[in-house]
Amino acid sequence: MTKTVRKIFFLWEYEKEEAWMLVHTGFRKYEFEKGTPGAYTYRLELLEKDTHAPESKSYLDFLQETGIEIVGECLNWVYLRCKTADCKFDPGTRPLYKLTHLLKIQDFFNTIRLIFIIAIALCIVGIFILEHPQPTPVIDFFKGFCVGISLAASVIMLLAAPYFHHINKKVKAAIKDLYTCS
Amino acid sequence: MTNPEENIVLTEAVFYTLLALHKPLHGYGIMQETKTMSNGRLILSAGTLYGAISSMLEKGWIKALPEEEDSRRKEYVITDTGKQVARSELNRLHELAENGDRIINNSQIQ
Repeated sequence: MTKTVRKIFFLWEYEKEEAWMLVHTGFRKYEFEKGTPGAYTYRLELLEKDTHAPESKSYLDFLQETGIEIVGECLNWVYLRCKTADCKFDPGTRPLYKLTHLLKIQDFFNTIRLIFIIAIALCIVGIFILEHPQPTPVIDFFKGFCVGISLAASVIMLLAAPYFHHINKKVKAAIKDLYTCS
Repeated sequence: MTNPEENIVLTEAVFYTLLALHKPLHGYGIMQETKTMSNGRLILSAGTLYGAISSMLEKGWIKALPEEEDSRRKEYVITDTGKQVARSELNRLHELAENGDRIINNSQIQ
């Protein structure tokens, strides 16, 4: 018997999502099968390239060789799981692992932030260009569209700001840890 | 190619992988061999091992063996450069252990 659950996690909430999946069992686009809670450990990993790129494929093949299952994909993120009793995931406590993981996330966030900034800038330019003495319904529509997009992008960036700050702080802490432990 | 004479400090994962690859092994084999050698203390994660293998292949410390037709698993083995790197790391570890033994153990006696 399967149960489908719809739940939204923002990009920066990957740790919450991991924990949520650990409590629930089974995975397939949040489609759950009844199983033993905690039998599987889930890990969300961010790949440098999308999952179909040769580099990602060779990495994912390697993971599968060691008994890790790929249960889902979303852009550059892969959803992995392995049996908790024979877990092949890094506990995530080693500074080197933490740092590489965080740097990949920081890089991903920076790219997204850049896309949002470009979108806002283009929309603002659009609003000025569309300033016309005799507005027509088409011009009004595009102007409204630009205003909407730039407002939405600004709100999302404001909402995400604390998380960007949080990741930056974590990166700094992981770099400090590297001085004492490998 | 890296000069093995350089003062390289290896990570535990890399050193154990080099030791394990004195005989040809695939990824999962390296994980098991490392766990056995360290009496279950060092459990290499798949991600760490993949990173270590990619880096060592680039440096020429290990090489991939030609794949068998019926197998998807790649096998790796240590190269001569890799053996030299492992030996110089062993010397460094000896030095650490000797100095540690001399100072820590002597201070305990006093």
